[in-house]
Amino acid sequence: MIKLSNVEKSYDDAVVLKNCSMAMERGEFAFITGPSGAGKSTLLKLLYCSEQVDNGHISVDEWILSKLKKRTVPYFRRNIGVVFQDFKLLFNKTVFENVALSLRIHRMDPREIMERVKLILKEVKLLHKSDVFPQYLSGGEQQRVVIARAMVSQPMLLLADEPTGNLDTDNARTIMRLFREINTKGTTVLIATHNEDLYYGSGRRVFFLNNNHIEKEIVG
Amino acid sequence: MITLKYFLGTAFKSIWLEKWINLLTILSISIGLSILCLFLLITFNVESFMKQWTSSFGLVVYLDDHITYEETLHLEAQFKQDKDVLSVSYTSNVEALDEIKASLGANAVIMDDFKENPLPSIFELELASELLDKNEARQKADSIKQLPGVNDVQYGEKWLASLNTISDTMRLVAVFFASAIFISTIFTTYNTIKIFFYRRKEELKTLKLLGATNSFARLPFLIEGLFVGVVGGSVSSALVFAFSSLATTRIVEFMPSLSVVLSPLPVQVYLIIPAVGASMSLLGSLFAVGKIRY
Repeated sequence: MIKLSNVEKSYDDAVVLKNCSMAMERGEFAFITGPSGAGKSTLLKLLYCSEQVDNGHISVDEWILSKLKKRTVPYFRRNIGVVFQDFKLLFNKTVFENVALSLRIHRMDPREIMERVKLILKEVKLLHKSDVFPQYLSGGEQQRVVIARAMVSQPMLLLADEPTGNLDTDNARTIMRLFREINTKGTTVLIATHNEDLYYGSGRRVFFLNNNHIEKEIVG
Repeated sequence: MITLKYFLGTAFKSIWLEKWINLLTILSISIGLSILCLFLLITFNVESFMKQWTSSFGLVVYLDDHITYEETLHLEAQFKQDKDVLSVSYTSNVEALDEIKASLGANAVIMDDFKENPLPSIFELELASELLDKNEARQKADSIKQLPGVNDVQYGEKWLASLNTISDTMRLVAVFFASAIFISTIFTTYNTIKIFFYRRKEELKTLKLLGATNSFARLPFLIEGLFVGVVGGSVSSALVFAFSSLATTRIVEFMPSLSVVLSPLPVQVYLIIPAVGASMSLLGSLFAVGKIRY
């Protein structure tokens, strides 16, 4: 599903990733961890094509990202869901509109959009807040909206960047439960986190990113 | 169709949210187009006034003193066959002398001092409006002058040249005005859309991260630009129509004789103005969304 071989990425003179290699199977649930500045976010950015790789090979399913043309990027992105560290919610749109946006980009029928959004909002327990604007939601609720938006188009891959970073334990647990549910439906999930509590005892693969590459791989 | 509804919704929501800046843009466009249309209205009226004024413009063909009756008839037939000549009127030297004597009244005796009739016979030719150009008229006069039996041809050359100069100048100024207003309208919309674009930069980034294509992200801005242009043009149409109607009524009140000359702009112009506003505004928006990277 995901394959990185000898990936290199630098910002000006600062090397972020070098000889970085890893692979994930379809339907897998894995974590990527490491100290701050290790390159976790950069690795995810490479996976959703927000950054371009300098050297090496990256592929997601049939898409070879290291050779992807700029005009093809939007079509690739429609196959993945991303939970951004800074949420990237649109504050001039309601919860419903934020979640529906992914489907509108897919040019889906409005009736189907309505059904799908309601269903996913019910799953994340936010159906009653459909018409609320994000600024009136708590951090945990905002995070659930972001997850709903990432999941509503039923992507093959879900990438989450520090999804529990600003949440209390209860909210973090809820979010992790949502990710597990998503994974049981067949979506491959990759979570970037520095929170050990998320992966210890999970029984999932954990990639340790340090010194610009995947230093080791354990089962959490 | 479904997506169009979304684009329209997004565009109109933004128009409402940014109503003040949109209103200012609409005002700028409508003022610019109104100035242009008023100038067109004036040019149109001056041209129509000149057309009416020059409708009786013609050439006076002076004949040789010794021209025979047959030659005169031949010339008359030639003039009547000429498609550039609308009407032909002949005045013999005897008729001309009688006319002068009649106009002199009691002083007509001074004409008796001439041993011979000093006046030539003439043809007065009314020319088609296509020949109301100084070069065309000169060419015509020269060609007639070559005909046998013709002594001289005269027409209001200087007067016609002045009219032509006025007309050409007005057209030149109209083109200058049109170009200036065209550029300023495009620039106004360009700036407005660019401001909107920057204000919503983060939103656009998010849209792109969710898989939106450039056209998906940019189309609402183009709709917004188009709307601003159409409204600006329509306001301008209404203003010019109101001004034209009011001015015509007021001018005719003071100078009723001008009612024959004053002409309103053709109705089609009032329909074209919003279309012109829309296309200029759309062009400005296209430049704006095409140039910005996000």
